Amino acid sequence: MRPSRTWPIHLALGVVAAVMLVPFYWVLKTSVTGENIFAYPPSLWPRHPHLYYFVDVWYYIPFVRFLLNSVVVSAIVVAANLAFNALAAYALTQPFAGKRGVILVLLSSMMIPFQATIVPAYLITKDLGLLNSRLGLALPLCSTIVNIFVFKGSFDAVPRSLIDAARIDGLREWQILWHVMLPLSTSAVATNVILSFIWSWNNFLWPLIAIRGEEMQTLPLGLSTFLSYLENTTGALYAFCVLVLAPGIVLFLLEQKRFVEGLTSGATKG
Amino acid sequence: MTYARRRGSGFVWLFLAPSLLVFALYRIIPLGWNAVLSVERWSPFRPASFAGLDHYEEMFFHDEVFWRSLWNTVVFMTSAPIAIALALGVALLVNAPIRGRALYRAAIFLSYPLMPVAVGIIWRWLYDEKVGLINYGLISAGLISRGIPFLESFEWAMLAVIVAAVWQILGFFMVILLAGLQSIPRELHEAAAIDGAGRAQRIGRITLPLLRPAIFLCLIIGIINSFTSFDLIYVMTRGGPNYATELLITYIYRAAFTLTRFDYAAALTVVLFVFLLALTWLANRASGGEAGAVEAAE
Amino acid sequence: MTSPASLLQSKVWRRFGAAASTTLIFLLAGTGPAEAQKKISLLTWNIPVYKEKIDGWIADFKQLHPDVQVEWLDKKGTEWATFYQTQVVGGAAPDIIDVQGALWLEYAANGGLVDLTPYLAREPQLRDWYNAKFLATWVYEGKQYLVPFYISKTLLFMNRTMMQEAGLTRPPKSFDEMLDYARKMTKGERSGFLTLNFDWLYWPLFAMNGVELLTHDGKRAAFNTPAAVKTVEALAKATADGVINKVSWTGRWVEPNGAFSSGTVGLYQAHAPAFFYVRGAGKWVNRDTLGIAQMPGGFSTPNSHGLGISKTSKYPDLAWEFIKLATNEKWAYTFGTTLNNLTGTKADTKILEHFKKEDPLAAEVLNTQLEGLDKLVGVWPQARDAQIKEAFYSELQAAVLGRKKPADALAEAERKVNRVLQQR
Repeated sequence: MRPSRTWPIHLALGVVAAVMLVPFYWVLKTSVTGENIFAYPPSLWPRHPHLYYFVDVWYYIPFVRFLLNSVVVSAIVVAANLAFNALAAYALTQPFAGKRGVILVLLSSMMIPFQATIVPAYLITKDLGLLNSRLGLALPLCSTIVNIFVFKGSFDAVPRSLIDAARIDGLREWQILWHVMLPLSTSAVATNVILSFIWSWNNFLWPLIAIRGEEMQTLPLGLSTFLSYLENTTGALYAFCVLVLAPGIVLFLLEQKRFVEGLTSGATKG
Repeated sequence: MTYARRRGSGFVWLFLAPSLLVFALYRIIPLGWNAVLSVERWSPFRPASFAGLDHYEEMFFHDEVFWRSLWNTVVFMTSAPIAIALALGVALLVNAPIRGRALYRAAIFLSYPLMPVAVGIIWRWLYDEKVGLINYGLISAGLISRGIPFLESFEWAMLAVIVAAVWQILGFFMVILLAGLQSIPRELHEAAAIDGAGRAQRIGRITLPLLRPAIFLCLIIGIINSFTSFDLIYVMTRGGPNYATELLITYIYRAAFTLTRFDYAAALTVVLFVFLLALTWLANRASGGEAGAVEAAE
Repeated sequence: MTSPASLLQSKVWRRFGAAASTTLIFLLAGTGPAEAQKKISLLTWNIPVYKEKIDGWIADFKQLHPDVQVEWLDKKGTEWATFYQTQVVGGAAPDIIDVQGALWLEYAANGGLVDLTPYLAREPQLRDWYNAKFLATWVYEGKQYLVPFYISKTLLFMNRTMMQEAGLTRPPKSFDEMLDYARKMTKGERSGFLTLNFDWLYWPLFAMNGVELLTHDGKRAAFNTPAAVKTVEALAKATADGVINKVSWTGRWVEPNGAFSSGTVGLYQAHAPAFFYVRGAGKWVNRDTLGIAQMPGGFSTPNSHGLGISKTSKYPDLAWEFIKLATNEKWAYTFGTTLNNLTGTKADTKILEHFKKEDPLAAEVLNTQLEGLDKLVGVWPQARDAQIKEAFYSELQAAVLGRKKPADALAEAERKVNRVLQQR
């Protein structure tokens, strides 16, 4: 890539990034100033920035406990997703009787919105005895169809010759998955981790009804409680949201390195 | 092929079992519950009585909100191809070997993990007629003389909501497409470049076809985006003004929990499901069947 | 090709191992010991700030009933119904619930609440303790379902500064005069009138024009009258001219409060709790600049909170005891003075005295809450209240925002409301 030709790309990406970031910048700015966002005209720089709202978050609600709950639940979800989705996706790369039907079932499962399943999901979780537990919180999200297809797309691109060679070598199926498919799908793994983490971390509706007391509540629920104390001050709301957002971003940045590794290891594929 | 036959495909069902179990419990069975409930008259406090197709009759013949929300859902979905095209462009750019790539990726993705309630309020402010940033910018640039009430006007509300939803989902599409891009072996591009193929040709002949599974996935996600964006829309407009932004999913939620009509909400869910299934089937046909799967080259 | 693969394996394995062991730990930890005592639960509506005092209730209750455990849950208004209804389906409905507005009707009409009439009949002094007029707002088909927890209703707030600038001194006495005032105060960014619109809070505007929502037997719509059409036309015209702030029809709870506290609105129809928010957010508010009055004609819509018992409760008698405790003299007074509300009980006299001393402006606001109790509107004992509300308001909103002709909107609303009323 000749260096002189990269500036149009930078320009385009810069514009896109700026547009994407404007709302986010405002969230950040309001969280450190608490200015009424309805003040007019809007000011670009934060006036008198302070961190009081962030402190308030720690003070008014048991933030650490909520954080811990969120972390445990999300850890379960991410681990389960990696395991279940990789297994399912690998199965879907094989020809077998009923494959069409399974794919149809998976696709149609996506068409069922969570909001319409809350009550039966609650009853089922209750029958499993998992209400008010972190495992119960994690269970509905332990496998997601989007992520299965992400893995499948990546697995499908692995050359058949590799798999056949591994089979000739006598490797069992799960070993093929572990030693051949996964190492070649680092970006699919990264995507799975990021997406399942975000869905679990931000999940509000399910913890709302599956958890009764305060001990097991996760961060988004804590937001509701928090807002009851500091009603309608967007500064507080945004400080909370920034805190909730932070782990997701950190994770994404960490996983970004996998993207890079995936790129370089791709060059040595096969 | 002999290897597969020798091994048998028994392991396939074992591998599929955990995922299928989760879906059976939390999607299929609830769908069944909804289907059964949709032909009953029931409230959480009294036993069910059979209602036949009463709810469906009411929905199709007497409920203009249903038709309005169905239409809105379709309109909302048409934003998906546009968003995917945008995300594809961004993904291609971000995939180029330039410096600071990681930063761009992070900046563009940042919108997705942000809690919908924060996103909703920020966009409500951005669109505000009197103090919003968008109107401020438009007025300062001399394009309009007084603010447009985006979220309060019937004409603009849907478009405004779509823009916000696309903003939030762009990062999601980008991530899916990037994963797809990175499973395309470098050698293919390098070989084609050596053969003299220009960038556009390489994108058209190599990248896009091999991205079909990822694009198909994005299309499906786009179809169900109205669910994924539920929180955002609910916070921004709650379906208003006057049902201008009421989607089927917001109507279902309201019917169940604000109007306490679980049975009617169940009927709406069944209809939504069938509708989306039909759309998915169409999308599948349009992208060549087999869920857009591509056979890997040898 | 060793480092990326082994790096991946070790990281994945480590994470999986960590998650698996954590899962095991928490599975083993379980969710708590088996229940040996009796247990009742209380679900309140968005008062987590009141935690200390609720612990006080629980402590007092424990002294009277040491073998009973009390669980306290609290949910914000937007999530309350979702939570409660799911709990009901799951058979774990909280015994005592604090319900706002008309939500209780859905539950009562479907047999979800315990009839409190026998309890009250057994203790006549209680009937005196609770304000009869407010008790009456929670009667359905002759049965009493809730008792007052804290009460509120609508009134008229006036921005005296804006009024003076327009040469207006006393509160408006009629609908037309009110709109006239509003017109005089509208200028540039300022608007003359604003109203809250959730539940039936806007209904006084119709009541003062002699419009009834339903026929006396509650079986048919009765609002499609020439008087109503004229009212809606006036509202629509005023909204189009900017005299009525559009946020009245497009905003929910926060926006109207925000608009009035910014000091650019002349008249504001809202309920008493709005006062405390407005005063907090609006630096201009003080005894001279804020006027308090009843709406013309003295009509108001209540938006109170009541305490009731879920039908599925295993210990309704204990629940009743708890409710009595929560609303007794000591705790009603504490509640009123801590959270700035009246309680619909005899404690209100003392609460008002407290405010007269400590916060005269608040006292003035709270005084209005006990006036005009014969002119409460927006309280129809209809099981399908939520659907009727939606049917009516969606048409009203279309009309006042200029999207439909008022006559058409009212006719359509009548059709929709009648359909709701006929549903089985």
